[in-house]
Amino acid sequence: MAATLMRPASASPPGDDSPAIATFGLTRDYGGTGLFDVDLRVPRNCVYGLVGPNGAGKTTMLSIITGMRHSDRGAVEVAVPRPRVAVCPDVPEFDGWLTAFEVVDLARSFVAQERTSRDVLDALVATGLSDAASKRVGGFSRGMTQRLGLACAMVGDPLLLILDEPTSALDPAGRADVLALVARLRGRCTVIFSSHILADVQRVADHVGILRAGRMMYQGPTRELIDTYLQPRWLLRVAGDIAAVLAAIQAQPWVTRVQDTGGGELQIEAVSLEAGERGIPAALADCGARQVSCEPMAADLESAFLALTRDKP
Amino acid sequence: MTTSAPAQPGRTYRPMTAWRLERLRMTRSPRAISLMAVYLFFGLLGPLTAKFLQDIVNRAQPGIQIIVAHPTPRDGIANFISQAGQTGLVVTVVIAASALTFDARRGLSTFLRTRVDNMWQLVVPRFVVSVTATIAAYTIGTLAAWYETALLLGPPPVAAMLAGLLCGSVYLIFAVSVASLAASVARGTLAVVGLALGGLLALPLIGLAAPLHDWLPSTLLTASVELLGHAGLSDYLPALASGVVGSALLLTAATLRLGRREV
Repeated sequence: MAATLMRPASASPPGDDSPAIATFGLTRDYGGTGLFDVDLRVPRNCVYGLVGPNGAGKTTMLSIITGMRHSDRGAVEVAVPRPRVAVCPDVPEFDGWLTAFEVVDLARSFVAQERTSRDVLDALVATGLSDAASKRVGGFSRGMTQRLGLACAMVGDPLLLILDEPTSALDPAGRADVLALVARLRGRCTVIFSSHILADVQRVADHVGILRAGRMMYQGPTRELIDTYLQPRWLLRVAGDIAAVLAAIQAQPWVTRVQDTGGGELQIEAVSLEAGERGIPAALADCGARQVSCEPMAADLESAFLALTRDKP
Repeated sequence: MTTSAPAQPGRTYRPMTAWRLERLRMTRSPRAISLMAVYLFFGLLGPLTAKFLQDIVNRAQPGIQIIVAHPTPRDGIANFISQAGQTGLVVTVVIAASALTFDARRGLSTFLRTRVDNMWQLVVPRFVVSVTATIAAYTIGTLAAWYETALLLGPPPVAAMLAGLLCGSVYLIFAVSVASLAASVARGTLAVVGLALGGLLALPLIGLAAPLHDWLPSTLLTASVELLGHAGLSDYLPALASGVVGSALLLTAATLRLGRREV
């Protein structure tokens, strides 16, 4: 097996727009599954969502990037010094007889010896574990352990944070906290965030990479992906006489279908995004309707993901 | 460096290091106590059973007269070595294996491996602390056996006792090295213990081939007893040399293998 060519960090000049991580033809074949010729590009200081169904190769990809596994061929270029790369696995585990403070302090001692106990406490506070700092981690719930893993990742002030399914074990409140934490890191460090919960990725990731069967199907800005697969379909909510609005919309030449779904809502389909975006406000103004809201339907990552994976077998 | 307590004001925290982690592993779990208890127990039991063997035999076999030779200081130490040499070895290997099998849990392995520059940072503290605790326990057991033997059976020669302690310690270092290599082959603690004990028990079998006998580290296991007889430390120099060199080679091989292992 050929070892992955790891190109180490180099000091990047200000304004350098080279990616934080780049892979070149990265391949790891587990006999039909694995990764195949993946060229990953993770821009600096972005939150990059790596998504894909189970078995798509997300964990293999992150394992190769972090040096936990080797590739059969290809290269990985990480433009961040190794001590400033932090990794949090999907199921973090620690020695249960250590306290939370000691676990995070141990992480600090490995990667950032110049930092102090104050930084350890700050990491615990940031992840909502300050009250549990002196408790042994053997009694922690899975959610608390996940937060502890994040605290260990944060304590070294990372420039690259690799999170493998960080919200998979958390309750809704915990998920919201972690996502808010990740969102706050945007612009301060590069975050790679693997998840199969597409709503989470859409919420925090400004770039996304979609893996399926070990191949990169899409890579680029999240918004661009969603817009690409956005259907020209809107949900319109109006107040007042819905029948008059329905008649006015039906009379428009760009409308392909309109349906009264009840509750003062109309579902409108147009020949194109532009036609609908221009036509709906004009039609509403012409008939004097009182618009409550108008929002595109299926304008989310999940719809885009399904459309993308349906289009490219 | 000592830092102020962030969680409980007024209390002093010592910063964590890989070395402190291993010390805490020994003291916050039953590991250190188990080691000490096993060697101390057999250290106290060995000379006692040698002293009262005749009484024990008489009570166990009433009606049959078995004459046991008058016990000597060598018998006291021999009893300690034969009893502690087996149980103590198993406990030593289990404790070393539990520290070295960090790859048994993927989450823990990821936490450690992605934060160190090389595998030596993880292996050396685990190896050294395991060896230190084991030798300390073995020394305490030996001192207990020595004291009780002197009390009940007469004083054993000091030079021979110290030489025996040296030989036994080198053998235990070798045993932990074998456990290290086993940890680079298998991942689970049970598998590593089985592999290490299998290897250690296979060594005396190899020793049946006469030319190799003097060089095998397993010879050191009973050196404490033989040195109280006619043997001298020079008889064990080949085994001591192979024990030290073998330990270094095994530890190096284990570290290199662990460094290449995928998780």
